[in-house]
This record gives sequence, C-alpha cells and structure tokens, in this order.
Amino acid sequence: MSVTIPRVTDSHAARLLRAYQEQEKRFVERRFPLQFAPEVPALRELYSQAKGFRWNPETDIPWDRFDPTAYDKSAREAARRTWSRRAWSVYPGLIESTALLIRFCLESGSLGMDAKLFLSFRPAEEAKHLEVCRLFADVFGGYEPDPGDAGLVRASNHPFAQAALDPEMPVEAWIAALGALDDQLDLNLTLSHLQHAKDEVVRTALRLIAGDRQRHVTFAWTLLGSRVPTLDAHTRAAVVDTVRDMLEHVILGGYRNTWLVPDKSREPWLAAEQETARLGLGASTASQERGVLRATIAQVRERLAVWKLELPVVTHAELGRI
Amino acid sequence: MMRQAYVSEQRYPLPLAPAMPDVWELWRRAKTLEWDPQTDIPWEDLHPERYSAEQLLAAQMYWSRRTWGEYGAISESPALLLRFCLERRLPDLQFFFTMRTMEEGRHAEASWLMAERLGRYFPQPQNPPTAGAVGTHGVRRMAFDPDTSLEGIFASLVCAAEEILIDVFKATVHKATNPAVRRLMELILRDEVRHIAFGWQCLDAWAPSFTPDTVRNIEAAVTTMIENVEFRGYRNLWLAIEGGSATPAEIDADRISCEAGLGGNTPEDEMMVFPEFLRKIRKRMAPWGVNIPMFDHPRLGKV
Repeated sequence: MSVTIPRVTDSHAARLLRAYQEQEKRFVERRFPLQFAPEVPALRELYSQAKGFRWNPETDIPWDRFDPTAYDKSAREAARRTWSRRAWSVYPGLIESTALLIRFCLESGSLGMDAKLFLSFRPAEEAKHLEVCRLFADVFGGYEPDPGDAGLVRASNHPFAQAALDPEMPVEAWIAALGALDDQLDLNLTLSHLQHAKDEVVRTALRLIAGDRQRHVTFAWTLLGSRVPTLDAHTRAAVVDTVRDMLEHVILGGYRNTWLVPDKSREPWLAAEQETARLGLGASTASQERGVLRATIAQVRERLAVWKLELPVVTHAELGRI
Repeated sequence: MMRQAYVSEQRYPLPLAPAMPDVWELWRRAKTLEWDPQTDIPWEDLHPERYSAEQLLAAQMYWSRRTWGEYGAISESPALLLRFCLERRLPDLQFFFTMRTMEEGRHAEASWLMAERLGRYFPQPQNPPTAGAVGTHGVRRMAFDPDTSLEGIFASLVCAAEEILIDVFKATVHKATNPAVRRLMELILRDEVRHIAFGWQCLDAWAPSFTPDTVRNIEAAVTTMIENVEFRGYRNLWLAIEGGSATPAEIDADRISCEAGLGGNTPEDEMMVFPEFLRKIRKRMAPWGVNIPMFDHPRLGKV
C-alpha cells in the first residue's frame, strides 16, 4: 500500500503549526505531584458514564433495517446534503476537544484529572458522531466533502482549537462559550431532530448522539459550577464577553443553523434540511430551529444568571433583540 | 474573540472516507475492544494482604511510575491528532488517533487504580523534577514543530518507544502471577499492539515517498529516542546511563515487583529484550533505507 503524504512544507499548515507552537510555549507545565483521585466527583462520574455508555456506529445502529430506496431521488439527495453539512459541523469537535485536553494538561498541571480523563474520551465520541454522519450521507447517495460556497465555509470554520490553547483566554470562558452555549444548542437541536424523526434507524442514531452530547453539556455546566464561584471579576467578565461573542459572531452567523447563514449561501442546503425534516430523516425545519435557538439562549442566560453572570441581549437583523 | 488574529484552518474539502484500509481496520477494531478499568479487572483477586510490605511498596512504585508515563500520552501525544487535522492528513489517521487518546487515558486510570489498590499511589518521584523539566519524551513540542518531520515522530515515538514498551510487556506478562495484574497487563497489551501497528502501517504506506532527508530525520529521531529517552531511564530507571535523580529504592522497584508477580521486569529481562528490540527495528526499518546505529550502554554492552 502506498499513500502520498502531504508535505510539511505546505506553508499554510506550517503557519498553523507555528501558531500552536507559540501558544504552547507560553505555558509552563507543572506535572508533579500528579494527582489522580477525584476532585469533582460529578465530573468523575461523567467520565465513568462515558466508559459505560460506549457504542459503535457500525454495529449499534441497525443499518440492515434501513432502506434508502424507500425514498425518491430528490428525498435522498436532500438527506445526503443534510447529513454532509452535519458532518462539517461535527468535525471541529475532534480538534477543539483535543486542544482543550492539552490546555487542561498545560494549565492545571498536577490537578484537574477529572476533566482530563473526561476529555480524553471526547475526541473519540466526536469521531463516532462524525462516522454516523458520513455513513448516513453515504447511504443516501454519497458524502459531500465541500460546501462549495465561501459564505458557508466561513460560517462553519472557526479557529476554536487555537482559542482553546490561547493563554489569554481563561479556560472557564472558553468552556462557557463552547460547552455551555454551543454544545447546549447542538444538544437541543439534536433533540429537536430526534423529536421530528420518523425513521427508526435515524432515531436510533440521533438518540445515541444525543446521549453523548448530554454528557458533554453536563460536563461544561458542572465544571463551571465548580469554578465560577471562585473567579475574580476580570475572569467573570471574560466569561460573559466570550459567551456573547460566540453568540453574536458564531451562532448567529449560522455556525449551527443554515437559515442564519448569509442569504446567498443558504441554498441548496436549507431546502435540503426542510425536505429532510419533512420526511423525518433527521432534521428540523427553520421554524422549529428558530424556537430551539430562542429557548436555548433563554436557558443559557438563566443558568448564567444563577452565578450573577449577565449575558447581554444581542441584536440580529432577522431575529431582532435576542 | 473570534476576530482575533488566529490563523484560520483550510478545512475543505473535508474527506471522511477510509483511504488506508489497514489503519481504518484498526479504528474499527478499537471500537469493538473498549474496556473499563473499574469493571473489567478482577480486583477481587488482587489480595494485597498476601504480599510483604517490601513487595507492596515496590509494586506501588512500579504502577505509580507507569501512571506518570501513561499520563504523558494524555498530555502530549494528542498534539499529534491536532497535527493530523491541521496538516489535513488522511481521515484514517484522525479517526484512529481519537481512540488512541481514549485508550491511553484508560491505561493511566488503570495504572493509578492498581497502585491505589495495592495500598498507595505515589503522585511524584521521590526527587521530583523542577517545573518545566517534567520528565517527558517531548512529543507535544515535536508535534507542533513544523520543522520536525512527522515520519521521524512516528518512527521514534509511535514505533520505537511503544515497541520496546510492549516487547517488555510481552516478555514478562507470564511472570505476573497475580490474576488482577495479569489481566490488566493483557488489556493494556491488547491496546498497545494496535497503537504500534498504526505506526508501522503508516510508515510502510509512506515509505515509497521518503526522500533522503526523511530517512535522515527518522534515523536522527530514533537515535535521539534511544539515547535521550530510553537510556535516561524514562521507561525503566535501571537503563539510565547516568544516575539521574531516582533513588535506589525506585530503581529496584521494578525487579522486586516483578519477582512478586505484581508486574514490572528485571534487569535480566531488559538484557534479553532490549538488544532484540533494537535488532528488530533495525531490520524493520532497513527496507526504507533507514540505518539505526549501534549503541554503547554500560550494562547492555554494544547493542
């Protein structure tokens, strides 16, 4: 077997690596004493659950009961596009959660083992979700590897992993933005897709993904619950700013919702999602997603308010004040 | 935040289909062979009360040291996954490495549990290194360094360093007479065999495109790994050419633990396994044009 390897001389990849290299050098890792005993039992419990609830996309989803030919060509094309687009939004999870694991190791040194063990599992869980998306796209006619539109590329590609390794970014702020807001929205959307899915195989897949996602979200809120009460005013402000920034510039820019992508970049993806939702093949309509988004923002705002962290109202051209 | 001067990835097109069937098969196998240190080890058969204080102390030290080593695979090796993603390597590498990170976390937890259940986990060496000198093989720094070739990292860390680790495990697992210890060693071994297969399969697949520079990089990386990591006692303190900061009790812990059937290995095991390991990787890398030099070691001789 011979496989061509991309060269490191690829100047963009080299620039990216240098950026990470610079960030990594700004931390001084203190590895010892290396504590393993649980510090936050709820986080260790989530790690235990991750070990106990493991599943395999190839064998735990009854693919043999799925018959794509039961759907006409246009329906299959719509579902193929929807699951491809979903794969692009799952993929960053591999990178972000790995970067976050490294950040915890660099920063917390000898402490924080509960979070590190939990995060050591998360990239593999994201990879399983990614495999599910690719398998569905394939059975509907073939995974589409490229959005083919600059607007959609911009909306779905953010340097989250670098942000996770940025020493200027308090790790609590990043967990709040990525875990408490973005993961929470992702979970709520997955639950909405599940609620509206009619196909038994699609429902099984979404249920398995939602189970993992629920743990990821619980991790974020639990970790915040263990740390926010001890944060100083500067870091508390950073938490609020980072969540607001994520909401205003990433979520409302269409990172999770195609109907929020700039007008000219929405099609054919939005129509595909509408059709996929109508057929119950694992999507929600724009109207349903709008409700999920509003409810999620309210939910996040309320939960942050418990710690007296006030997420400001942001304004969006279509949605108004939200 | 998002408008700061981070360097954006060029992510698309984003291929996800398997392109390296052997590596993909490792990802598939890893998904079917998951285990849980809390529930898949027969802890009820450990019976620490059957061992002397000296044996228990040695085994506690051995398993604590293993925990620190496995932790390196959580703290450092995941940087390789980032590199695969940033360099847009084939999806097979990315998928498999997510499982590897998970498995290394499991090994760290399992080793810690073993030390704990034998009576005590030691959170640091008796003479801990200073901050910044963390007793590491340094793969994170290498992974983020675009001037360090990925092939060299694979050859030194994924192949050589992991290969000697499992060669010693394979050669000594039968000495672990304690059923809980033996089961744990078998489960770790099962995962590690996949990790090494991954390294060799990738290098074999890439070998036709190796340039003379690549070959030199591999030779230098493997030599550095042997001289600066193995011969400094990163894995086994007895191998350290210069005394280092380990205490005599720490150096002797592996032998005492091994002789008690609680895991570990003896200097005689190292004398037997290490030269054979070097012969094996020399032979394995020779078809790529890689020439691993001979090494002088005060106790192993010329190997």
